Amino acid sequence: MNLYLLAPEISLCALALVVILLDLFIGRKWILGAVSIAGLIVPAAFTIALWGTNETSFNGMLVVDQFSLFFNLFFLVSTALVLLSSTEYASKFAAFRGEYYALVLLAAMGMMLMASTRELISIYIALELTGISLYALTGFLKDPKSSEAGLKYLLLGAVASAVLLYGMALVFGLTGTTHLEGIKAAISAEGLLASPALLMGIVLLVAGFGFKIATVPFQMWVPDVYEGAPTPITAYLSVASKAAGFAVILRVFYEALGPVSLDWSIIFAVLAAITMTLGNVVAIWQTNIKRMLGYSSIAQAGYLMIGLATVSALEPGAIGSSGPSALVFFLACYALTNLGAFIAIIAISNKIDSDEISDYSGMARRAPLLSLALALCLISLIGIPPTAGFMAKIYIFSAAVDYGLIWLVIVAVINTVISAYYYLRVIRVMFLGAPLSEERVPSSGALRAALSFACLGVLVLGIYPWVLLRIAEAAVRMFP
Amino acid sequence: MLGNFGYIGIFLISALGFAIFMVLIPPILRRSGIVPKKPNPTKSSTYECGMETVGKSWVQFNFRYYFFALLFVIFDIQVVFLYPWAVAFKQLKLFGLLEMLAFFLILVVGFIYAWRKGVLEWK
Amino acid sequence: MAIALEHFLILSAILFSIGLYGVLAKRNAVAILMSIELMLNAVNIALVAFWRYVAPTLLTGQVFVIFIMVVAAAEVAVGLAIIIAIYRSRETVDAEQIDLMKW
Repeated sequence: MNLYLLAPEISLCALALVVILLDLFIGRKWILGAVSIAGLIVPAAFTIALWGTNETSFNGMLVVDQFSLFFNLFFLVSTALVLLSSTEYASKFAAFRGEYYALVLLAAMGMMLMASTRELISIYIALELTGISLYALTGFLKDPKSSEAGLKYLLLGAVASAVLLYGMALVFGLTGTTHLEGIKAAISAEGLLASPALLMGIVLLVAGFGFKIATVPFQMWVPDVYEGAPTPITAYLSVASKAAGFAVILRVFYEALGPVSLDWSIIFAVLAAITMTLGNVVAIWQTNIKRMLGYSSIAQAGYLMIGLATVSALEPGAIGSSGPSALVFFLACYALTNLGAFIAIIAISNKIDSDEISDYSGMARRAPLLSLALALCLISLIGIPPTAGFMAKIYIFSAAVDYGLIWLVIVAVINTVISAYYYLRVIRVMFLGAPLSEERVPSSGALRAALSFACLGVLVLGIYPWVLLRIAEAAVRMFP
Repeated sequence: MLGNFGYIGIFLISALGFAIFMVLIPPILRRSGIVPKKPNPTKSSTYECGMETVGKSWVQFNFRYYFFALLFVIFDIQVVFLYPWAVAFKQLKLFGLLEMLAFFLILVVGFIYAWRKGVLEWK
Repeated sequence: MAIALEHFLILSAILFSIGLYGVLAKRNAVAILMSIELMLNAVNIALVAFWRYVAPTLLTGQVFVIFIMVVAAAEVAVGLAIIIAIYRSRETVDAEQIDLMKW
């Protein structure tokens, strides 16, 4: 057992414990935020030091490869951005800052484990570590809306994990093992390819993981939870939690259920089409910007699922890598874009204390830079050059065309046109509407730093995506 | 296999018979005149030893009970891990002990947290 | 007639369905949590049965069940805490009245 392979997760756990203890014994609470953000350097350093290793440990439960290390960095960067954007917001729950930071760190640890485990029990534990931390964070404000969001998220999440477990139990019963490689070997060896029980298990697994990534028909929690949760947590849910869901789906379905890819890829293709259409169409009617971005994130999950569907055209058992690498690249672009949009919203709502789109009227005159940043991120969410969203969409659509999913690409392009309407509406309100007051909207240094990082990332990836593309390809190369 | 269910059937019948028998003893003894009827206030009270209930029994419990119950459940359920660990202790050697200590360290942090936050005090 | 794997699986499927029905039909948030527990216990039965009949030499099935029990307890603790927070602000745990947000 090589504990060094687990060093990023262990150091993150230690950081969370240190934050909890510091909270109990020191008076100046601003230190907590600083310690949490600075402390993230330690797991990040371990991750970079481990870069290039490809080993398993703990009886094959833990795997450290390019894929898990890529996602480790992904989660650490998005956690850092979320924590930066929380420092000012945290004044709303001044007495509970320590718990807040510690829970965010523990959720990040769960996500990192989700991407780097190869065994069903560990996947479940990691999923629940993330889930339970996020349930508590969603209900953190303790006002009626936030508690309601927390309760809805918890009840639906618990049902989803029960369904997931039932699927896991079926897969375990059919194959006699919980290790992903063992499952793959057993499926091929015991002629389970056409087994209806295995298909049932796959459907239940799709349902359980589908909740995490908010695909239809498990998307109904998204708008309510996104609206009620503290805004930094909404950003966290829409980016990191979703990415963790995709990471674990890639792992389980490509590594364990590869031999039956024909069965599940068609499920993902159909779900992708329905998910993006529903998300975009319902988003048009929203008046609350957090709710609108909630539906927008459902639509983006639909685009992402194209990457999961790209195996259907191949021979059974054969899996190409351009779909998964496009998915991973899309996730990184989407993360920067969505985090940027949410950070701008946090900065604006800290001041005007409202999330209604109509209250953003004339914001360009009250906060020119914030409005410009928000506009840039919304343009990237539509997918207009020269932004990251454009490159991500080009890449994932071309992967789908390569694998013969022309119909899915046509649906996605039509959806992109629909989505332009509601994103551009926000930009129109901000730049052409009459300002509701002349008061300026200031923002803190931490928020400005986080927002500049996100916007810079969006522009750089839109103009020069090749470095990240190489990394994304390297990350998924180990899928057989 | 069916024979095993036979034992369960015998067990069920004898348990049922015993329960009915116990309920029937007092009336039978009374009717047959073995036990005399001499009522007095103490004898006919609900509990011969114990407190009379005051008010309805459908009262809401204090909120505080729930916090204690929640804390208890969390710490109680973690003990589940101790049993398999204890059984396999000799094979696991020092590494198992250290892992369990790490596990406990995390739990202790949670306990210190609850303590300092005053959850354990009855206010 | 011997008790075989399929009997346990049928029992587990029935329990799972009862739990799912409870989640969809119950109005009290605590009752919904209890129904979820029922679903998890159905999974536990299936896992232990699979362990006994499919892979009795490995302890995977039993270990899985222990972990599910512990995680479920943690989940319920958080759930009850949120329900207490809602009850304090709203004096109800009826799921139909917890409806500030709707699409």
